[in-house]
Amino acid sequence: MRTDAPAKVRGRVEYGMDLEAPGMLWGALVPAPVAHGRIVAIDASVARGMAGVRAVVTGADLDRLLPKGGGDPERRLLPTEEVTYRHQPVAVIAADSRAVARAAAAAVRVATEALPSVDDIEEVFPDWPGAEGPGSPQVVAHVHALHGDLDAAFASAELVVSQTFRTSGVAQVALEPHACLASVEDGSYRIRTSTQAPFAVRSDTAEILGLAESRVVVEGSWVGGGFGGKASSLVEPYALVLAIASGRPVKLALTYREEFLLGRSTLPAVVRIDSSLLKGTITGRRVRLLLDAGAMLPGRDFATGYAIGFLAGPYRIEAVELEGYAVRTHKPPFGAHRAPFAAQCAFVAESHMDAIARRAGIDPFDLRLAHAWREGDTTPLGQRVGPFGLREALERAHRQREAWRADGHGSGGIGVACGFWSTGTGAGGEAIVEFARDGLHIIEGEREIGSGSVIRGLVAVVERVTGLPPAAVRVDYRDTRSAPFDSGVFGSRTVGALGQAVEKAVRKGMGTLAARAKVPEVRLAFDGGELWVVTRGHKRSLTSLLTPAERALGHLAIGGRHYGRSGTLEESRVREGEFYAYTDFTASVVLAQAAVDRETGAVRPERVAEFLDVGVALDPEMVRTQMEGGIAMGLGTALTEETLWTSAGRLANPGLLDYRIPTLGDIPPIETVIVEGFPGAGPFGAKGVGEPPIIPVPAAIANAVLDATGAQVTELPLTPERVARALKLL
Amino acid sequence: MTGGEGTGNAALALTVNGRRRRIRAPDAERLLDTLRWRLGLKGTKEGCRSGGCGACTVLVDGRSTLSCLTLTHEVAGATVTTVEGIGRDPVGRRVQAAFARENAVQCGYCTPGFVVALTGLLRERGPKLPPERLLEDLGGNLCRCTGYAAIRRATEAVCREVG
Repeated sequence: MRTDAPAKVRGRVEYGMDLEAPGMLWGALVPAPVAHGRIVAIDASVARGMAGVRAVVTGADLDRLLPKGGGDPERRLLPTEEVTYRHQPVAVIAADSRAVARAAAAAVRVATEALPSVDDIEEVFPDWPGAEGPGSPQVVAHVHALHGDLDAAFASAELVVSQTFRTSGVAQVALEPHACLASVEDGSYRIRTSTQAPFAVRSDTAEILGLAESRVVVEGSWVGGGFGGKASSLVEPYALVLAIASGRPVKLALTYREEFLLGRSTLPAVVRIDSSLLKGTITGRRVRLLLDAGAMLPGRDFATGYAIGFLAGPYRIEAVELEGYAVRTHKPPFGAHRAPFAAQCAFVAESHMDAIARRAGIDPFDLRLAHAWREGDTTPLGQRVGPFGLREALERAHRQREAWRADGHGSGGIGVACGFWSTGTGAGGEAIVEFARDGLHIIEGEREIGSGSVIRGLVAVVERVTGLPPAAVRVDYRDTRSAPFDSGVFGSRTVGALGQAVEKAVRKGMGTLAARAKVPEVRLAFDGGELWVVTRGHKRSLTSLLTPAERALGHLAIGGRHYGRSGTLEESRVREGEFYAYTDFTASVVLAQAAVDRETGAVRPERVAEFLDVGVALDPEMVRTQMEGGIAMGLGTALTEETLWTSAGRLANPGLLDYRIPTLGDIPPIETVIVEGFPGAGPFGAKGVGEPPIIPVPAAIANAVLDATGAQVTELPLTPERVARALKLL
Repeated sequence: MTGGEGTGNAALALTVNGRRRRIRAPDAERLLDTLRWRLGLKGTKEGCRSGGCGACTVLVDGRSTLSCLTLTHEVAGATVTTVEGIGRDPVGRRVQAAFARENAVQCGYCTPGFVVALTGLLRERGPKLPPERLLEDLGGNLCRCTGYAAIRRATEAVCREVG
């Protein structure tokens, strides 16, 4: 059982939303009234005069409030000249109560002169994809890679399949809105916040406000859902500016509406994908991506190149060209959401595979198995594929399909889809492990965010290294002033990267104890609630091996670090921009059965099975719960979830009643199968499991619809209207 | 200090988790804010604040109620049970144990709402209710982490235990 569960079922853990301090004020954001415009005037006189209002800060006040007048001008907190998305905060307010803060924010008059807004990426480039790439100041990133003789492949093809796919934006919908508490204490800037990455919040906040990083102290609270939306700063710099202006602690929490408007959703994309086929073999593929970056795309080139890698698919193809453009629009900044954009890419690439299979008269499994990467193959960007369980997962899924066909339980079509991913061990981190009388303490800056990667994953690594029971190991959370550095809980990296730092610290600590005991090696034991050191079969107290200083301190503290490297790309294949090099290769295969209502176009999933290559499952039950969660989220992406951007940066459905995520009754029976034996980059060969489960789900559902109806829907999500159009009912 | 809304500051009494509480609150204050910020019972979670997620579910006179859509003055005199008090009820305790045991808890933000709602349903409708009906009635509680599979297992386990 998870050690955080007993407190959580009693409502006894403190999330960012729950934070409170004596004398605390509440903050509120003043939104830009247009998607794109020149700021003429911000009149806050009414708000300033309201009873209970303690601070009003506009962009013009930052020079006065911040030591250097602010930080990086590119990331200016509050604009003074131009707003670039609707609801962009243009002023912030702190007041005695949340209601007063909100009322005061509503009383601020923001006068703007509207400028033309860019809403739709396809309207910007009506002729795309033409021979020439779009040239426009709106293009913020361009990546291009090429390998092989593409022209020859297409010229000699027996069959060419050309398709265009569209995907919609997906909102985070962590149930807890972004929330933090900021204060100024003894010259330090203190932030307690619901975050996946305390050190990223620290560096972001220092950079945006122009503060010394060493003065900014971030402490993570418990997190009510992350999924990528809480992997960088959002509310924290605003709250801190208000704390500086008011001299009081300030709580700032987004409303759920703001969560939709500002909370880092993904945005729409259009993909053109063409493949050439000769004698049942895919000989060439050209992929062109137009990605809506909103007002800002974090790591512009990187995010685009990273996404496009997934569009080639985990397949051997002789000639491949990948080209992507990120386009700035007047929507809020783009965000990362569980396996950012990979589920959308897999929807495109795997729908395309089924289209090829259908046109060529090949079984979808046979086409995939004939092309699936094996260990030792080379990716289109020239990277060597490591141990990869895709074929094994596909073979098992194939047997499952035969079993489903035979058992007659479902009435719908059956679709398969593949996904691949990589454990984010390229992002580094450090751990301190304390060897104390009451057990081992993992000292950590990041709270468990829900996946179990910290509270179970790191503990499971220690269990496997030492043989100790879980009761002998605990995680102690510290703020960024006393915790060792770590990149954060994201990218399916926690066990893979931080787990290696923990493993090294534990092994080093055991080595230290062995040296002190003058034996080649020691074992650890846990008995009577106490940690013992076993040397040559002889059990001795930990205390007997500690120095007087360590005895006074109560423990021996040992550090471990892991700064990993990603794989290498073949530079000759990269023509422009930055692409992602994988650290390892994780495969996920989803089999889905779904029935289609021939009158309404409604799709009803009947059952889902997923086959996940995890390297080694350090805790199979935790892997299973990640798979179940990822599948359900993927069903939302597949069927209902869509941010509806209308004109001039307006979002038509910023709430849970209009933006529908799956509910209990929407989830069909789920079967999860763990595939082991293909070691990854993590401890003991573990691969990250937080993100891969979602990736093939939308594609598998779309392929089930294709199997059921013969009609392919080329746009996510598969709403009844889109399915009905594909069925020519509309 | 509170997130309270409205004007006035009239007195009222509530019985919360077995304890009689006398408070003053503005006329438009939501029960959610009274519980969290006036009484310090922050186990009841604030999610969407508009009835769309179920995270704020409490029992009012035994009935499952969204505290974000309930004005405190509207339920003056009532008996309120939150997640902090649900464990005094033997059914509530079983629900909590099953959610923990079955790993129906990940980030835990929806958990108090689920635990309270399921306890209320089992209390209100009796243990003979088929689990499928219970699960249908939990459709107003959202979870973004678990995919509901473990929540389903926990619910079925509780039904077996109390049935």
